[in-house]
Formats: sequence, structure tokens, C-alpha cells
Amino acid sequence: MANIRQLDKRRKSVRNIRKITRTMELIATARFKKAMDRASAATDYTKRITQIVQDLANSGTSVSHPLLQAHDVIKAVDILVLTANRGLCGGYNGSIVRVASQRRNEILEQANAGQTSVSGKRGITAFRFAGVPIEKSYTQFDDQPSFEEVAKIADELIYRYVSGQVDRVDVAYTKFVSSSKQLPVVETLLPFSGFEVGSKQTPVGGSEPGTIRDDYEFLPNASAILQEVVPASFRARLFKCFLDAAVSEQIARMVAMKSATENAGDIIKSLSRTYNRARQSKITQEIMEIIGGVEALG
Amino acid sequence: MSTDTAVHCIVVTPEKTELDVQCDSVKLPMYDGELGVLPGRAPMVGRLGYGLMTLNTGASQERWFIDGGFVQVTRDGVYVLTNRLIKPEQIDRQEAQEDLRKATEMVANTPETRAVRERAITQARGKLRVSS
Repeated sequence: MANIRQLDKRRKSVRNIRKITRTMELIATARFKKAMDRASAATDYTKRITQIVQDLANSGTSVSHPLLQAHDVIKAVDILVLTANRGLCGGYNGSIVRVASQRRNEILEQANAGQTSVSGKRGITAFRFAGVPIEKSYTQFDDQPSFEEVAKIADELIYRYVSGQVDRVDVAYTKFVSSSKQLPVVETLLPFSGFEVGSKQTPVGGSEPGTIRDDYEFLPNASAILQEVVPASFRARLFKCFLDAAVSEQIARMVAMKSATENAGDIIKSLSRTYNRARQSKITQEIMEIIGGVEALG
Repeated sequence: MSTDTAVHCIVVTPEKTELDVQCDSVKLPMYDGELGVLPGRAPMVGRLGYGLMTLNTGASQERWFIDGGFVQVTRDGVYVLTNRLIKPEQIDRQEAQEDLRKATEMVANTPETRAVRERAITQARGKLRVSS
């Protein structure tokens, strides 16, 4: 039978671990709510941008921009990987790193050059371990990524794309589908393709009857506005990726900590059972010894 | 406009909806100068520059720095889409000067890179103007 004192010690330490994981779960839940609020607040901007693009398309402007044009020869492909700064969030970082390195290998088969940039300490260590050269690493993004920081990265990517240093930009992040489903995905950011939906919805042959169609005045003109709308939309899109990643991270941590807490509870239960059994058998043994002693005397 | 006596002004940044107010008139910094919007203005979409937006309500004025973007005037209101909305007093003059210096040092040897450089310079100049 196991040592009683040792069992008790183990039970105590598991109890402490449960306390910690439980707290982490609560923190993750609170952060998730905050991140979620931010993500939903950010949709206003995207909606308005889409509205403007649609109005532009309705006015008969052809939608074209250097960011929308795919380069003919793909020589260099950049990949941006969004991981977490901290661990203890289940398979979150692992699955992102997996899909990202898979895509990177595919890229290397077709193109020879390209930068790999990683956000998040976990991803950085994973790629460094795998021997992948990291061009740029970011660790300043936590559960509330700021647009200003993301815009800097976006502007740099825009610059690299329009100046021809890179022919395609991919981003690997965890897409937030619903609060119970998050998928690690790799998406192509540039050439930018966010506008197809907008132009498809253009009503053919004017507006629907009964609605008043606004004839917009464009200052300075529709195409000049488009020149600005496309990069703005791209920035918003990249920002959305960061927000999605942040929300998914918190969910992953929440789920991981929840199962850790439950698991600790199970371990405590089984340890308690073993402990009680050991104690009881010790008591029984002592009684037996006493009885044996009495009988020997008698 | 929903009401013909007030301008419904909504400022949206990529992070959130920053402002949602009713006011008498709005003065916007456009790419080429200022544009005043009064109640009942015809619908338009315009490019914003970098400068001060002024909201007039009665005798009071509210001033904000706008970091580029667009404005869409519809029947329901004035939607301002900008990267950042900051109070003019929060702008650091030294930082703006530094930005301008960096922007002018950028290499521009193709039309695209020239456009990026121009943009950075205008942005820094707008900031600098407001900060003084």
C-alpha cells in the first residue's frame, strides 16, 4: 500500500493546481468576452467600407488597383503566422504552426524567396526550433491587438507588394467561425480579393422599385477614392485576422483550462479514494495487531 | 438626413465606433481643403485628408484630429471612416516632426513607392499642423 503521507501530499498539490487552472479559466473567459466585444465593434468599419465599394461599383467605376492585381510570375511569397505569446491553450499554437509550415513547404516548391514573419513568442520558438529563418517577429500583440500596430505591418506588406518585392502574401491564423468552432487556416491576403462580393451584388438595370437611389457625388472622383479604399480595406482585413486570432486564443485557453480543471478534479477523487483505503487498511491492521497481541497474552 | 435640423455624425475607426452624435454642422478636412456639411446635404463620398474635424453644436465646438480615410454622406447621416480619431491636444509635436523627417527620407523610385511616400509626408504634415 502506498505511503499515506505521500498520497496526502500529492492530493494537496493537485488541489493547488486545480485552483490555478480554475483561475486561468476565469481569466480567459473574461478576456474572451473583451476580445469578442472588440471584434464585433470592428465590424462597423468593414460594413461601411463594403458599402462604399458597392456605391462605387454602382456608379459604374471599374474596380482595379495594384493590390487587386495578381502578379504574373510568382517568385516570392511572404507568409505571416499569427500565434499566441503564451502557452497553456491546448493545440492552438501547435495547429497554427503545423498548417503554416505545411504551406511554407508548398511555397518553397514553387517559389524560392519569401519572408516568414511570425507574431507570438510560441510561434517564434517553434519556427526557430524547426530552423526556419524568421524575417520579422512581433510579440506586442496580446488579447487586444491595436489597429495602429497592425496597420504598420499592413503598410509594409502593401509597400512590398506594390514595389514588386513580393508576389503573394499569405497569412496563417485561427479563424473564428463560432464560439464553439475555430479553424487554423492559411489565407492569401495579397493579391487582395475582398471585393468580389461587393461588385457581384450590384443591381443590374438600376435600383429596385420603391427605393430611392442615391446618386453619390464623388470627391475628387470615384477612381481616386478607390485608390484609397482598397488599402484601407486591406488593413481592416489584416486587423480582422489579428482579432480573430486573439479571440480564438482565449477560447482555446478557456477550453484547455476547463478540461485541466476537470481532470484535476478526477485525480483528486481517485487519490482521495486510494488515501482513504490506505488509511482504513492501516487502522484495520493495527486493530488486528492489538487483537493478536491480546490473544497471545491470554 | 433623418431630420433636417441636425447632422447625425458617426465616426468609425477600424477598432470601434468612436462617435455617434447629433450636431448642427460638421467641418471635415478633405484631401484638398475643408468641407462643411449642413443638414440636408446631397449624398456624397469623399476622400479625407489629415487634419481637424470640427463639430458645431449650438455655441460649442468639438475638435478632433482625423487620420485620413473617407466620408460618406447619406440620408441617415455623415459616416466618417478614419484610421484614428484623436484629440488635437494629444498629438505630440516632436513625434510628428520625427514622422515627417522619416517620410521625407523614404526612397521613392517607382510611381507606387512615390505614392506611398507622398502619403506619409501629407500625413505627417497634417499632424504637425494640428499640433502647433
